[in-house]
Amino acid sequence: MTLSNATIQSLVRSPSFACYRKDFSVDIQEKILRYGAPVGSRLECHHSLGRCMDRLREMIHEAELSNTVLESGTVVMASRLSKSSGRFERYWHAPEGGLWLAISLADVLLPEFNRLLPFCIGVACCQAVRMYGVEASLKWVNDVHLQGQKIAGVLSETIRSQVRGERYHLIGIGININNTTFPGELQNSAVSLSQLTGKTHTIENFALKLLAHLTWALGLLHFQEEEALKQSLSTNVAPVLSVWRNLSDSVGKKVVYGFDVQQKPLYGAIVETVDDDGGLVMRLADGHLITEHSGEIQYLDP
Amino acid sequence: MSQDIHFDEIIGRYKSDPYEYVDMHAIHAGIVRFLVSKNDEVEGPSGEWKHIPGSGLYEIVRERNTKVVSSKTNGTISELQKGLNGKFVESGEKLLTIRHPLKKKEIIEGILQEVLSLFEAPERAKYYFAMDIQSQIESKGARSVFIKPGDEIFTMSLMKRDTPVYYTGEPGIIHSVYFKPGESMDQGAPLIGVCAKDKLPLIQKIITRVKAEWE
Repeated sequence: MTLSNATIQSLVRSPSFACYRKDFSVDIQEKILRYGAPVGSRLECHHSLGRCMDRLREMIHEAELSNTVLESGTVVMASRLSKSSGRFERYWHAPEGGLWLAISLADVLLPEFNRLLPFCIGVACCQAVRMYGVEASLKWVNDVHLQGQKIAGVLSETIRSQVRGERYHLIGIGININNTTFPGELQNSAVSLSQLTGKTHTIENFALKLLAHLTWALGLLHFQEEEALKQSLSTNVAPVLSVWRNLSDSVGKKVVYGFDVQQKPLYGAIVETVDDDGGLVMRLADGHLITEHSGEIQYLDP
Repeated sequence: MSQDIHFDEIIGRYKSDPYEYVDMHAIHAGIVRFLVSKNDEVEGPSGEWKHIPGSGLYEIVRERNTKVVSSKTNGTISELQKGLNGKFVESGEKLLTIRHPLKKKEIIEGILQEVLSLFEAPERAKYYFAMDIQSQIESKGARSVFIKPGDEIFTMSLMKRDTPVYYTGEPGIIHSVYFKPGESMDQGAPLIGVCAKDKLPLIQKIITRVKAEWE
C-alpha cells in the first residue's frame, strides 16, 4: 500500500480502527477525523538525510520565501539519518531498518492543550507498536518501551519561522523496526520490533499505521480542546490523557528523576499518578508528594 | 525605566511598612472552607525540593473533589473573608491576605523590580538560557550580556517539548536572574530583570543606598 494522506485516512476509517472510534458517536468520530486529517498532507521520503527535523525547517523556510506556508501535517521520512540526536544532544542511532520521521504541525492549540501534544505522540507510537502484538508501554512522557528496552523515542520542539515568525511544532519520531544492531551503550537499553516479534516488517506499513494513529490522537486532542472551550467536557469523552494512562506503566514504578536524568539525576521517588495536566506526581522518601511538568525519569525496577 | 527614582519616597514606604501583602484567590469555583483564622502565622513550602507544602490555607470542593491550597510564603493572615466560609465562590474571588515580612534582600529585589524591565515566564515550565546567551554569561557574566527584542534568550521545557522564548522587552543588559536552570517557574514569575547599560550606575546606587539604610 502506498503511503499517502488518502491511505492514512482510509486506514483510520477502517474496521481495524473501530476499537478506537467506538466510544464516540458517528458525528463526533467525523469531527475527530477532520481535526486529524492534515497528518501526512504532504509526504517526503529520502534514502538518507542528516536530520528529518532539519529538512522540515528548510521546507518551512522555502515555503515562506515563496510566500506560502508549509502544510500542517507535512511528514519527512528517511531510511537512515547521519546526524540524528535526541534531547540534550544525546546520540540517537538511526541506521537503515528503522522508521525515522518528523512531522510539522502548525501551532494552533491553546497552551494548556499544547502541553498534551507530547502525550498524543507517545500514544500514537505505542498503539502502532501494539498493533504488532507487542505489549509495549509508555514511560512518562513518551518513551515507548518493553520491559525497560526502548523501542521508540520522540523529540518535540516548537520553533518560530525565520521570515514570518509563525510557530510550528516539529516532532521527530524514531522507531526501531528491523534494525537489530545497536552501539555498545544502547545494547541493553534498546530493542527493535523485529527482535521482539522474530519477523521483519515493512517500514512503509508501519509508517501508515503510525500516521493513522497520529491522525486519531491529534484529532482527539483538538476535539478535547473544542469541548473544553465550550465548557461541556462530558464523561463519555475519552481525553488523550486517559488513553495515555491506559498505555503507561509509570505509575507505581520506583524511579530516578532529573531534568537531564542521565547527566544529573536529582532524586529517587515512586510514581504516584499522572495528574490531569500531565504532571508526574511522585512520592519522595520522606512521604511527601512532588509534581514535575518537565524533565525525565529512569525506572529503577525492570 | 525612569531616571527619576524617588529614593526617599520608596525607602520611606518600605521602612514604614516592610511587608508584602499576598492576596490569595479561589483557584477555581467551588465551596470554600478556611483552614486558618485571622492573625494565624503560616509557613511557606520547605524541603530540599520545596516539595513539603506550606501551611494549609483553605480547601475548595468542586464536584466532590477537594483541593487543599497551601501557603507559598511565610507570614501572618492579615485579612480573611470569614463570611465566605462554607459558601460557594467563583474562580478568582479574593479569600485572604498574607502579610509577609520582607528581608533586606527582598526589599532590594522589590525596589529593583520597580525599576528594571522584567521578562516573565510565559507558562509554568522549566527554563534555561539559550545556548548563545549561556555561553556569553559563562564567558563574561550576565551583566555584560546585551539583549534586544527578537533575541532568543531561553528554552522553555514543558512535558519534554522544548520551545525557544524570544525577548520582547526593552533592549539592555541582563541585570538580575530570578531562576535556576531547570527550576520550575510559575506563569508570570519574573525570569530576568533587564536595564539599559547607561542605567547600571543608577541601579548600583539604589542597591548601595538600600543596603546602607538597612544596616
